[in-house]
Amino acid sequence: MMQDMAATSRRRAGAPLRELRRDPEHGMVAGVCAGLGRDLDVDPLLLRIAFGATSLASGVGIVAYVLAWLLMPAAESSGETRTGALADAAGRTGRAAIEVAFGVGFLLLAILLTFRAVGLPFSDVLTWPLVLVAAGGALIWRQSVGGPPTADAAPAPPAAIAPAAAGAPQSRPAVTSRIGVGVTLVVAAAILFLQFTGALAAATDVALAALVVAIALGVIFAPWFVRLLSSLSFERAERIRSQERAEVAAHLHDSVLQTLALVQKRAGDPREVAALARRQERELRAWLSGARQRPGDEQRFVAALQAAAEEIEEAHGVAVDVVAVGDAPLDRDGQALVAAAREAMLNAAKFAGADSAPVAVYAEAADDRLQVFVRDRGPGFDPASVPADRRGVRESIVGRMERHGGEATIRSSPGGGTEVELVIERSTP
Amino acid sequence: MRRTARPDPVSLTAGIVLVVLGTVLLLDRTGALQLTFSSMAPIAFAAIGAILLASGLSRGRRER
Repeated sequence: MMQDMAATSRRRAGAPLRELRRDPEHGMVAGVCAGLGRDLDVDPLLLRIAFGATSLASGVGIVAYVLAWLLMPAAESSGETRTGALADAAGRTGRAAIEVAFGVGFLLLAILLTFRAVGLPFSDVLTWPLVLVAAGGALIWRQSVGGPPTADAAPAPPAAIAPAAAGAPQSRPAVTSRIGVGVTLVVAAAILFLQFTGALAAATDVALAALVVAIALGVIFAPWFVRLLSSLSFERAERIRSQERAEVAAHLHDSVLQTLALVQKRAGDPREVAALARRQERELRAWLSGARQRPGDEQRFVAALQAAAEEIEEAHGVAVDVVAVGDAPLDRDGQALVAAAREAMLNAAKFAGADSAPVAVYAEAADDRLQVFVRDRGPGFDPASVPADRRGVRESIVGRMERHGGEATIRSSPGGGTEVELVIERSTP
Repeated sequence: MRRTARPDPVSLTAGIVLVVLGTVLLLDRTGALQLTFSSMAPIAFAAIGAILLASGLSRGRRER
């Protein structure tokens, strides 16, 4: 307890006051009171009571709240998985909508006050309702033409950050709350107008009658409506299923059926048939796991390593099994490592022979470290006895790794197979 | 060929608004205009509204 108090007093005395931020995640309207309470160590309930009391007393609380809403940026929510750039972009889009709404409101107010000042026949009854309708309408309009809302629960993959930030998708609760404020403003304008013109009582009667009729109709037609909704959703699910079936059928035709036709044609060449089967297996596995590289995708380390393995396998008829953990963008270091690993696979395929066990490639890729092991169960060799003029191991593997700040370790003994370990440590971006 | 930089719409609007406000106040000082609260309020609201609208529209365009 004493330690807590001491820590709090130290923070208050020494540490600079951090920027005040709204907390929409825990707020009731825009998160002003929740944010202030968190940043100032005050119970938000007290602040809400203060804002409410001053709003009822003179309306100052509403003005202060709106100003705070405009001036305080929103804090990122604790469970948010989007990056800061994406959240900032969404926040700026929301702020732009609010600025447009206030701008339209102020401009219309100026025009109406000018009408009154120059003596045009204009009723004061219309002033505030028109201003509120214009501001609320502008807010709804800006939200409706803004970026598509995204579900907060869905984590965005890193690759999607840049385009998403450019398009500024907004979180669904933020969009809903701003549209809610816009709708509230328009409804408040209508109520004000009816109140000023004395038609509110009559409108209340009409609204009550409409509500009763709506409830009665709801009770009568609810079963048909529910059935219609469920049949619509069933139809939609059927359509999605049918599209997926067509997609799978098209893919199977383009890949598996074509490969089977080739296998029948080349049935006399077991090596060719095995290579075709391996290639199809790899393609199908990549398709099933969703890891298949599409044209235009960023080059990735694991995809490049698998492409090199596939190339060696096709050229030499030796199975190369690639197991990869993690992935990273393919930069110059990654390219060098893939080239060195390709050379190691090539040596393994050449010296192990087509009838031996598959060449095993194990890769671990992270942003700060790339590591690849290439193992074969071939005849092995003595690394110290490699002649100086044989450049495969010395230059293409060891030299290449050293030029890129990496390291290559070759473990081999006659009759015991060979293991090549390639490592590059990278500075994190 | 050197590209001409496009002016920032918010700064441009704020500048024009300030020039108009300054001109109105100057005319008031010289006696050419008789400013009152009822005549000044719409000008002030229009100035705030124009800057907010320009800021909101340009910010929304940048985000797209």
